[in-house]
Amino acid sequence: MAEVRLVDIEKKYGNFLAVPQQSLTIEDGEFLVLLGPSGCGKTTTMRMIAGLEDITAGDIMIKGERVNDKPPKDRDIAMVFQNYGLYPHMTVRQNIEYPLKLRGVAKADRRKRAEETAAKVELDALLERRPSELSGGQRQRVALARAIVRTPSIFLMDEPLSNLDAKLRVTMRAELKHLHHELGVTTVYVTHDQMEAMTLANRVAVMREGRIVQLDTPKKIYAEPADLFVAGFIGSPSMNLIDGTVSGGVFRAEGVDVPIDMPDREGVVLGIRPEELEIAPGGAAFTGKLYALELTGDSTLVTLRAGKTSVCARGHADFEADINTDCHLAPKDGARFHLFDRASGERLI
Amino acid sequence: MQDRLLPYWLLIPAFVIVLATTIYPLAYSFFTSFRAWDLTQSRRPEGFVGLENYVYAASEEQFLNSLWVTFIFVITSVFLTVVLAMALALLLRRKGPMHTFTRIVLILPFAMSPALIGVSYRFMFNPEFGVLAKGLGAVFPALEGVPWLADPQLAMGILVLTDVWHWTPYMTFMCLGGLASIPRETEEAARIDGASNLRIVFGIILPQMKGVIAVMAVLKTIFALKMFDQVVTLTGGGPGTSTETLAYFIFNVGFRWFDMGYASALAWILTAIMMVISIWYVRMLLSEKKMATA
Repeated sequence: MAEVRLVDIEKKYGNFLAVPQQSLTIEDGEFLVLLGPSGCGKTTTMRMIAGLEDITAGDIMIKGERVNDKPPKDRDIAMVFQNYGLYPHMTVRQNIEYPLKLRGVAKADRRKRAEETAAKVELDALLERRPSELSGGQRQRVALARAIVRTPSIFLMDEPLSNLDAKLRVTMRAELKHLHHELGVTTVYVTHDQMEAMTLANRVAVMREGRIVQLDTPKKIYAEPADLFVAGFIGSPSMNLIDGTVSGGVFRAEGVDVPIDMPDREGVVLGIRPEELEIAPGGAAFTGKLYALELTGDSTLVTLRAGKTSVCARGHADFEADINTDCHLAPKDGARFHLFDRASGERLI
Repeated sequence: MQDRLLPYWLLIPAFVIVLATTIYPLAYSFFTSFRAWDLTQSRRPEGFVGLENYVYAASEEQFLNSLWVTFIFVITSVFLTVVLAMALALLLRRKGPMHTFTRIVLILPFAMSPALIGVSYRFMFNPEFGVLAKGLGAVFPALEGVPWLADPQLAMGILVLTDVWHWTPYMTFMCLGGLASIPRETEEAARIDGASNLRIVFGIILPQMKGVIAVMAVLKTIFALKMFDQVVTLTGGGPGTSTETLAYFIFNVGFRWFDMGYASALAWILTAIMMVISIWYVRMLLSEKKMATA
């Protein structure tokens, strides 16, 4: 069992509090993604698990054992770095064999395991090359092979796909998902890319300013964001967030009239996802001038504006209209409205 | 038309200075090296002697001695400087509270004139009143009254020490530059893979510093081959000829014995050695550059 428990961990750099008292349990075999914008503390949290950063307070438990004072090599972890962290003076084979060599595995066994692992990530033809002779995707595979060759209890992956081009990222994402399914190793994955988080994770921990603001399944986080930050961060294009007031059971903003079942209140933000809106003939909930049309291939993103209000909807790929003409959007059947408090960001409904 | 020629006109003063101070003396000394020229007898080079000066050097004991002294000096000073610089750089690369202070202190020895370093060390190793001689004597009574600069081995040791002391800071900065270019991830990956600190240094960091270390070693060799100032001010080439480096010997032949023909030939032998090393150095730099841009 390779469960990871963070108990009230805290990280300070001088007077700067990078990660304030946080707790998190990562289940055995789980794929947990730490998601957040740059500087939110996700990499620091991972580095604390790895033992590359000392923790200021709290405890880190791996497989039920407190590892605060254990060096990285004794935590039974393997890590894949954003910039691969390959040894440039070694061949692919030597890179993959290195963790085994350090653990005193016999040469013949080392060789066999390195070749098996290389085959698993389709590197078997490149074993005698140096990292400088490989493409970005191939380097990333070497880093993966080096991590899995030792069959560790926990994988830590720090934005491993961020240096790859968009197409390769999608391929590698699928490979990572398959690899996790095959190996079943507990994995902690850091990314700022919400698409990676949604597609890979069993659970996502959304972080902001060092705190975990929501920890749940990707589905739940998408459907019920805990606050305004998560609502704006998850989803592509992101959720429409419209400032307004609720009076007489109606949410009102410039060009927006949406019936809402809640008492009168000022300073609220209405949220609705673009894919839950459709283009309507007239007299709809959202009315304004057509501001932009963006064809994405399978659909068209339609943005309308009314004063300061801007609303985006995912429309049919064939939709065409003139810019600055009147445009109306209506929620689809079963569409879900979210309401947040503007000041605190807290979810109201 | 005028615009096109202007850069050349602007280059002329610099070119004339280089020609007058470098190219002309070099060419003239090359010409002189094939002549007999005793400065006490004649103001101008005399008869052509072909390779006689070079042939004579090959069998002259004092020249061969200076060549050997230079060899010993270069090997020890280059080795110690590079090792010490690397060790210091490994200690100083992390940013701590003393970061700026240590760097300022570190540069001071390099900022000092080599001649001044020689004079200072000569005083400091004076067995009567030298602070280092006295200090060492106080800590190790067996060293009390040791004539540091009167013993051939010790004098060579002190000459090497002054040179290492002078050059280590500069080389440390070169190492720090090299270390800064090594991605932090490789070291962290090794730490996670199970490498000890020693193994990380020898197995991960040093192999990546190979290019920088080679450049440092070649550069230091070139400078060590020219060792002159500290020899003059610290040991005067003595005791006997035990610290008489090639550069110092050439100076003696030319400006003490006034045999300018022979001195020119010796200078060209030293130049040839340095040219070979310099070409090697430039090639290495180019291949480093190629690797960096690959």
